[in-house]
Amino acid sequence: MTAKRLGWAVAAMGVLLACIYLFLYAPIFYVIYTSFAADIVWPFPPAFSMAAYGDLFTSSLYGDALRNSLVLGLGSALLSTVLATGGAIGVLRHRSRWRGLALGLFLTPLFVADLLIGISTLAFNARVLDLPGNMYSAIAANAIPGTSFAFLIILAQLVRYDWAMDDAAMVFGAGPVRCFIEITLPTIWPCLLGAFLIGFILAFNNLEISFYNLGAIPTLPSVAWGSLRFGLGPELFALAAMVNFIVFAIFGVMYLLMRYKIVRFGYRETL
Amino acid sequence: MARGSVSKGGLGTSAMTGIRSSLARRGQFRFACLAGPGALFIVVALLLPLLAIVVFSFWRTESYELYADWNLDNYRVLLGEPAYRIFFLRSLAMAAAVSFVCLVFAWPIAYFIAKHGGRYRLLLVLLLAAPFFTGVILRITALQGLLGPIGLVNMALAELGIGPVGMLMYTPLAAGLGLFYLFVPFMATAIYLSLANFNFELLEVAKINGARPWRAFVEITWPLNAIGTAIGLVLVFIPCLASALTQRFLGGPNATSLGMSLAQQFGETGTWALGSAMGVFLFLASLAGILVVRRTIDLKRAGFTGALGA
Amino acid sequence: MRNAGTCQQFVKAGTSVPDAVLKLQAIVKRFGTVTAVDRIDLTIERGEFFALLGPSGSGKTTMLRIIAGLERPDEGGVFIGDRDVTALPPYARHVGMVFQNFLLFPHKTAAENIVFPLRMQRLGRAERDERLAWAMSLMRLGGLEDRYPNELSGGQQQRVALARGLISRPALLLLDEPLANLDRELRSEMEVEIRRYQKELELPFIYVTHNQEEALTMSDRIAVMHNGAFEQIGAKTEIYTNPATAFVAGFVGHSNRFEGKLVEISGGLARMAWQGDAMLVPVPRDPRPGGAILFAIKFEDLEIARAPDGVDRTGRNRLAGTLRDVIFKGQTANYIVALGDGSEITISSAPRGLDLRMSEPVIVHWPVARGATFHV
Repeated sequence: MTAKRLGWAVAAMGVLLACIYLFLYAPIFYVIYTSFAADIVWPFPPAFSMAAYGDLFTSSLYGDALRNSLVLGLGSALLSTVLATGGAIGVLRHRSRWRGLALGLFLTPLFVADLLIGISTLAFNARVLDLPGNMYSAIAANAIPGTSFAFLIILAQLVRYDWAMDDAAMVFGAGPVRCFIEITLPTIWPCLLGAFLIGFILAFNNLEISFYNLGAIPTLPSVAWGSLRFGLGPELFALAAMVNFIVFAIFGVMYLLMRYKIVRFGYRETL
Repeated sequence: MARGSVSKGGLGTSAMTGIRSSLARRGQFRFACLAGPGALFIVVALLLPLLAIVVFSFWRTESYELYADWNLDNYRVLLGEPAYRIFFLRSLAMAAAVSFVCLVFAWPIAYFIAKHGGRYRLLLVLLLAAPFFTGVILRITALQGLLGPIGLVNMALAELGIGPVGMLMYTPLAAGLGLFYLFVPFMATAIYLSLANFNFELLEVAKINGARPWRAFVEITWPLNAIGTAIGLVLVFIPCLASALTQRFLGGPNATSLGMSLAQQFGETGTWALGSAMGVFLFLASLAGILVVRRTIDLKRAGFTGALGA
Repeated sequence: MRNAGTCQQFVKAGTSVPDAVLKLQAIVKRFGTVTAVDRIDLTIERGEFFALLGPSGSGKTTMLRIIAGLERPDEGGVFIGDRDVTALPPYARHVGMVFQNFLLFPHKTAAENIVFPLRMQRLGRAERDERLAWAMSLMRLGGLEDRYPNELSGGQQQRVALARGLISRPALLLLDEPLANLDRELRSEMEVEIRRYQKELELPFIYVTHNQEEALTMSDRIAVMHNGAFEQIGAKTEIYTNPATAFVAGFVGHSNRFEGKLVEISGGLARMAWQGDAMLVPVPRDPRPGGAILFAIKFEDLEIARAPDGVDRTGRNRLAGTLRDVIFKGQTANYIVALGDGSEITISSAPRGLDLRMSEPVIVHWPVARGATFHV
């Protein structure tokens, strides 16, 4: 009887998860649907058009914005992953009286809202350094929360890493750098990739930090922001739809790989 | 032979101390090389700017320019003006409510994925994160499109003859729904990552020792995942407290938040000093929230026995 | 020693005291296409130390989990005392369990871990403290009450886990390879201790292990499990000296194995053709002359002598060979002898008085009634 009741609890959790997915993806599907609509302000009843996709590829504004967003995303993801990897290894591997301080510093950005990062870096750059908005400061500012997230992700993986493997490699004559490349990296690359991806998504789509750091340089979110007062351009919907198609395609491939047990993604089956 | 080995041992001991201290020094050096750049980066890119706005909050702005005459006027305005107090309390209440609702929803779904997700666990978690590939503005606009007066939900309701439901759009409730939409994946992912490292066998132990499922959850699962939950709460509470966009698009006139007002000081009105004071206020409020969370967690009681515990 | 009064306290009040503490009836458990437990019947008596011995994957841990209620059997019934608990969840069964990796709650101190079962039973604080004091002194854990599990040594963690299993005075205690993660010295120390606790408390223990020495040292009765079924169940001396199947002969103790053909049966002995030679061996069950048989004999049942020694050995089998190596083990030594066909056999014997040199020709001999024979 209890087992049956527990079965219900599990089923209820599953249903709740399905509902959350539906809720999370309803706006995404709406974006995709609207990207094909002839009129985005009044998309019902449906009337289909591919015009938005045509406009997207001819407009130079969106091309620039996309390129800037990509540079911003890749740059700050790279910066934050490198800094966080070093930080996580340093904090876990080497005893130092500065360890607590380093740990605290790496986690501080989690406690500072994006908006606050945006305005404080703007104030600092403009009034103290006397710098105009530029890509470098935007990359750096976006890498601040990115570093925290990457640090958490890598730390969660590295606490389970057996450093004796590195000691073994060193006994057999590998230096610290060689050791990292040959032993540590092959084991932890999935979480580095995860950290990089998270950093990329956050910076690519960031509005509040980028907006205050970039001035007139357009990114996708700032173009969206700018066009809001006239209503969003249908091209943005088309672009978002295309990004989502790629994401869904990757998920589809992942599902098939998992379904047919070609790749396990770290999951170990137990009998 | 025996004497020789003793004297050798003596030599060896002093040599060992030497090696050990040089190893420790090398450890310090490596630690500095590895963690130093990141720590320095945070100090320069985050803490110095934060310090700057603390300084600016005691300055004065006049026609878009900052002047360094030290005063407390900004704080006097912030504390004296009822509107700001309302914005602040409203943001605080909103952040607390959204954090709580996220917590309630995120726990069961994270638990389901961690315990019953099987080999699709990773995929299920990534599905929670994937909406972030679409920008915040687009998703909020889409929510508007779904829930708004001319949106899908209300059109469907109108077809059924129920008529448009006003409370779905341009109310604090709608803003809360939007924030929940944006931040529940953070909470669920944080709890999931904690549960993924949780040894579910401990629950079997509890059950054999007489604990019913709910009791086992309270005694074992919850305390051992308290840190992950706290991280989730921070990840939701902090951005909600500062959020401006969601309230602006979904909240209507009664949802103006601290974040919206703050953004305004650095945008339209150009009153940077007042904005800086609001920023300081926001940061202090965030810190207060974190201290509350921090106080309720005892690292040892949370089973925090990892390498960092020492 | 086994008076009813002591036993009474382990059985829930209000139920009668049957001799069988645990009864399993025709238990079947399948995981997909694999049958992990295949129609097992078992009765555990009061105050018994019972060992479930088998290689990994033999289904012994699944059996234990079925008894605990962590798995539901697909068929069959589980009875604790005279209560049918087949459908009951683990928390309603009142059994204790000790796990392989201890599974102490990392966020609770040693004392909090130990009293956990009592708190779940809503026992009063006074009784709780009293029982805690009893368990702490029984397990010699005094002074460690406030330590967290990661501040305890392996042996101390083991004792805390045992105390947690025992403190609620369960109907029976299940132990799932509790010594597997301890080092050798600590393990043999704990073997003796666990047996002592069991005898003092007169509480039935079901002890799962793949280590035959542990099973032989501690238990009263052993079931050897293989592929989800019992190969043999009986007193440990019986299992050791009279293995019922070839598997048991191979798994319990250290044996030499000879594969040959059953020629004939005469005078209560079987004649086995082996390498163009003949041996007299015990008669296998259901003998089929002409069939392939396996003869297994323990290392210590063989004797070794320098060849030729001219001693009359009627009533004994004898094999000629060359001494390859001697592995000194203290009280005994293992003599490794190469036979004519190149195969090697091992003889365990007291090394005193034997002065054999490497590569010396030797004779291996043993009384014809020793060992065990099986059809294969």
